[in-house]
Amino acid sequence: MIVHKVVDQLARFFGPDNLGLLWQSVGMTIALTIIGCGLGFAFAFLITLARQSRGLSGAVLRIIVTLFVEVFRRIPFLVVTYLVLFGIAAFVKGASLFLIAIVAICIYATAYLSEIIRTGFESVPHQQIEAASAMNFSRWQTLLHVILPQSIPVILPPAIAFMIAFIKDTSLVSQIGVFELSFRGKELVNQGMSGLFVFGMIALIYFALSYPLTRLGRWLEKRLASSRGQEPERQLRQA
Amino acid sequence: MHYTFQFGVAWQRLPDLWQGALLTLELGLLTYWGGALLGLGLASLKTYGGPIGKALANGYVTFFTNTPALIQIYFIFWGLPDVGIVFSAFNAVLLGLTLNTGAYLCEIMRAGFLSVRRPEMEAAETLGFSRWQQIWHVIVPHIVKTIYPALANYAVVLMLGTSMAMIFGVEELSGRAYNVASENYRHLEMFTLVAGMYILLTMFASLLLALVGRAAFRVKTRVF
Repeated sequence: MIVHKVVDQLARFFGPDNLGLLWQSVGMTIALTIIGCGLGFAFAFLITLARQSRGLSGAVLRIIVTLFVEVFRRIPFLVVTYLVLFGIAAFVKGASLFLIAIVAICIYATAYLSEIIRTGFESVPHQQIEAASAMNFSRWQTLLHVILPQSIPVILPPAIAFMIAFIKDTSLVSQIGVFELSFRGKELVNQGMSGLFVFGMIALIYFALSYPLTRLGRWLEKRLASSRGQEPERQLRQA
Repeated sequence: MHYTFQFGVAWQRLPDLWQGALLTLELGLLTYWGGALLGLGLASLKTYGGPIGKALANGYVTFFTNTPALIQIYFIFWGLPDVGIVFSAFNAVLLGLTLNTGAYLCEIMRAGFLSVRRPEMEAAETLGFSRWQQIWHVIVPHIVKTIYPALANYAVVLMLGTSMAMIFGVEELSGRAYNVASENYRHLEMFTLVAGMYILLTMFASLLLALVGRAAFRVKTRVF
């Protein structure tokens, strides 16, 4: 009896009707993560640059940008999603749910990634920046030739870890009706399939997406750490 | 497009939101302490449990940190009734988040366990500390000091994470706001207020945790 039930559920889950839709929903989950976090990374980079601006006009920019980061790091992603949903719905007619989800993910990722990027920038010793300015480097040259090459190995591992972790967080946008993996799971349950089976399978799919990437991220972290592992030599040269 | 903000209407329902905030705090605290106990158990199993214990703890942590908390709660709330186990929405969220938190806190605590070095123990032994004195005066203070910032940080992350309880109809801060908004149709205003309250709550929590850390464990943490 139970075997019969399980076989029946398996056949429905892996049937041609479901498989296409499931594939589509997995694609949506991946697209949300890549586009949202990718844009987020770009904005976060700009924000970190803006946070380093100097002077009085720079101060205003700095305050606005810092406020943005501090505020959105303290609001749950779900609330950000609803704010974007109702905010966009109030001012723009007929915005797609996909767009709304992307904007929400982008805002959230920008706030978190900019902290990661800032930490990376700050990991470059201050003396080096002073040395660069003593050698008459412009601010762009300092950024390009001194700060970036050294901070990228510090920034990348946590930034990648954040993006991989976000695959899981995208499940929350199913709540506003975006057709991604969790949403498809809920649909299947609403169509009368066993919740135990469906959510077990959905969890496994998320696992299959997330686990290999997590391993890859860790491997990359080790690689980058060993490429930075010239600390003793550098200290010798300083002495 | 034209939209007129009416914060007055939303502001009147502030008492409702405070009630929701209390439930958020309750859910957060219960989940955190449950998760901390579970994490401590898992981390001990991973460190001292032999090959089988280590494999079990590793499997648990790997599975729970690689699947969304939302799906875990869906599984408990809509999956387990298939085999006759029924939870109320609040209990399902509580259980799901606790299991999830346990996995993350295990990783943090494990890092703490590993940070105790052999020479420290040997020094304590040389000084004639008993086994319990070693644990209480050497291991525990060291571990707590090492992992306190990460634990405090996770407490704030978890507080924000409890907002997913609204999906199951639990009336915590965001759930209450959603329900109130469906009465007075001021969704944007209600969620703006809620966002403000989350900011206040987490700032208060960060500040409190930093003060406790500084007073009790001499840990310096960045608040803002």
